[in-house]
Amino acid sequence: MSAEIRIKGLNQYYGKKQALKNVNLTIETGMFGLLGRNGAGKTTFMKVLATLLPKSEGSVAICGKNVEDAAKIRKIVGYLPQEFSMYGNMTVYEAMDYLGVLSGLSKSQRKQRIPKLLCKVNLQEDQKKKVKTLSGGMKRRLGIAQAILHNPKVLIVDEPTAGLDPEERVRFRNLLCEIAEERIVILSTHIVGDIEATCEEIAVLDEGCVIYQGTVAELIKMAEGKVYSAEISKKELDLLKKRYVVTSMLTLGNNVMVRFIADRKPFDSAKLCEAGVEDAYMYLMHGKRGED
Amino acid sequence: MFGQLFLKECRETARSLIYWILVGIMLFFFATQLGETEIAREPEKGQESYGMHQSEDPDVIMRNTLGTLADEYYRESYTTYPIGFAKTVKPDKKEQKRIGEILEEATGLDQGEIKKTMEEYYGSVTGLVAEMPMEPVDGLTYKRFKELMKEVDELLGGGSHYGEQYLAANGIEPMTYEDAIKEYHLLVEKDGLSGGYARLFSDYMVIILGILPVFLATTREMRDRRAKMQELIYTRRAKSGTIVVSRYLSMIVMTLLPLFLLSFLPLAECIKVAASDGIRIDHLAYAKYILGWLLPTVMIVTAVGMFLTDLTDTAAAVLVQGVWWFVSVFTGVQGIDGGAYGWNLIPRHNTELNYKGFHDGFVQLVSNRVLYVSFAIIIVALTVGIYSQKRRGRLNVRGKILADRKSKS
Repeated sequence: MSAEIRIKGLNQYYGKKQALKNVNLTIETGMFGLLGRNGAGKTTFMKVLATLLPKSEGSVAICGKNVEDAAKIRKIVGYLPQEFSMYGNMTVYEAMDYLGVLSGLSKSQRKQRIPKLLCKVNLQEDQKKKVKTLSGGMKRRLGIAQAILHNPKVLIVDEPTAGLDPEERVRFRNLLCEIAEERIVILSTHIVGDIEATCEEIAVLDEGCVIYQGTVAELIKMAEGKVYSAEISKKELDLLKKRYVVTSMLTLGNNVMVRFIADRKPFDSAKLCEAGVEDAYMYLMHGKRGED
Repeated sequence: MFGQLFLKECRETARSLIYWILVGIMLFFFATQLGETEIAREPEKGQESYGMHQSEDPDVIMRNTLGTLADEYYRESYTTYPIGFAKTVKPDKKEQKRIGEILEEATGLDQGEIKKTMEEYYGSVTGLVAEMPMEPVDGLTYKRFKELMKEVDELLGGGSHYGEQYLAANGIEPMTYEDAIKEYHLLVEKDGLSGGYARLFSDYMVIILGILPVFLATTREMRDRRAKMQELIYTRRAKSGTIVVSRYLSMIVMTLLPLFLLSFLPLAECIKVAASDGIRIDHLAYAKYILGWLLPTVMIVTAVGMFLTDLTDTAAAVLVQGVWWFVSVFTGVQGIDGGAYGWNLIPRHNTELNYKGFHDGFVQLVSNRVLYVSFAIIIVALTVGIYSQKRRGRLNVRGKILADRKSKS
């Protein structure tokens, strides 16, 4: 059985609105990042893979199984939705146990796996705590634990770091990387930093279309020679913003240190910089504007 | 998987507040309605009263009905139950005159005599006003009597004591010693003593079971969405049938559990009386009646609750069941003494006696209960189908409603 996801000509409609447009992707073992603005179609895409939405057109095969065969797909896919919780009156262990039963695990399998997974997500000390008392970060970690409870071949994680503090975010990314050593992990996010820190292969979705698929390094390469920085006065900032895509800025008294994208050196004081993923992403999303 | 899930669902039900409210209501209802039930002993000659029973004798029905009509005519105020609730009807002069003429024809008394009889009656009674029978005129056939009463009922807008379906209920009369001993022997010999009391227990408990389980089912089905747990459950390996049926059965079992426990109290009383009077008791009577009489109502109400909640993602089931319950309770009043079970969701038999009524209406009662069990099974099967579709992102009624609202705003 091939450990890959093959998507061909996937179209998804909500009434007349097209949420996904002719998506073609092949995803292999490891971390795969799905990047895009809010509303780009990421969650729709994830839901189709998780059997929560019927696809309108095209074909989707996960490890050789057609996504329409929901019963088989559910056995091999773990899913962590963007917004989720669990029954608040259950303890962490009880919630895992309940979902374990729904995943078809025997009592002995649950007894063996749940403590291990809670340990993996650093919740072993909290297993008797009620779910409603958990912090956002702890809930996310519990979310990951439940998603891999049945040892799925594919893990789908939708916007997992939204709302987490920086420390929790780093911890969460590391956890995902560990999990991805032996399975396909699809991480959807609009936070470029998450992708930069975890994924090698990525796809960028924009208005339902895949506008990029490849490695992070290749994406960065696209922006090489196009990222500049300059210290300008605050008065000049508006004009610069109109002409170029500004990727970051830092106020220095009356001046501002800006980082922006341009096809060629725009003025003498601008210095060419090494491109990062965020710059490359912005270049990709606003490429045409940058060329104007 | 099913067994483990079922046990977990039972546990979850037992931990929910709504379940304990439901149990509390059952306890309260039991204590207030059945808490002081005394187990009947063999009637003795010379007792002050032997209780009442419903007579099928047309003379008794005519006497009682005409007494009630004369009383209401005299007071110019009539009580009707058009949709179950009592309503006072004050007819206009023309209608009142026509009712007077009907009363004259049925009793053979003129207006003055009727008025005098009522004045004497009210002058003689002290304390509570008891029913006053009034003799029909000689030669009045039961057929003609029914025609006259039908006209009165129509004049009053329907739902009165004179409507055809209410006439039989007017045949209540005090039992004689012979009647009482006959009923007692039927209770002991045919019902094994406890059978009659199990019926009475079922009669009361079925009233609240016609509505309470819908709250349990609705809150359970809405809980996944409220807890934001729907998608975590939807993407699991468990079949939709396993999830829905385990929840359904857990709610049924958890609803029946307090009923079984409560039934031990009257059963213990029956055992005590049976032991002292040397009666052979049916120890399983309560279990039989809970399963045969109450279970079908619990099944259908729970099924309706789950089905409508899963279909609409709202608490609409409570409203629908509330209307059904309301209609059933009040239409059930017509056959409150048992025997006339019809197709009512809430079959009534508000006496430990009237074995004959139970016996005569048994086939209808069984048909009634089988029908609701069958409906419940069909509705649960439909719920499984709906749940399965929702897991695949179809039939998202709530999502569509919200989307429509957004598009309009």
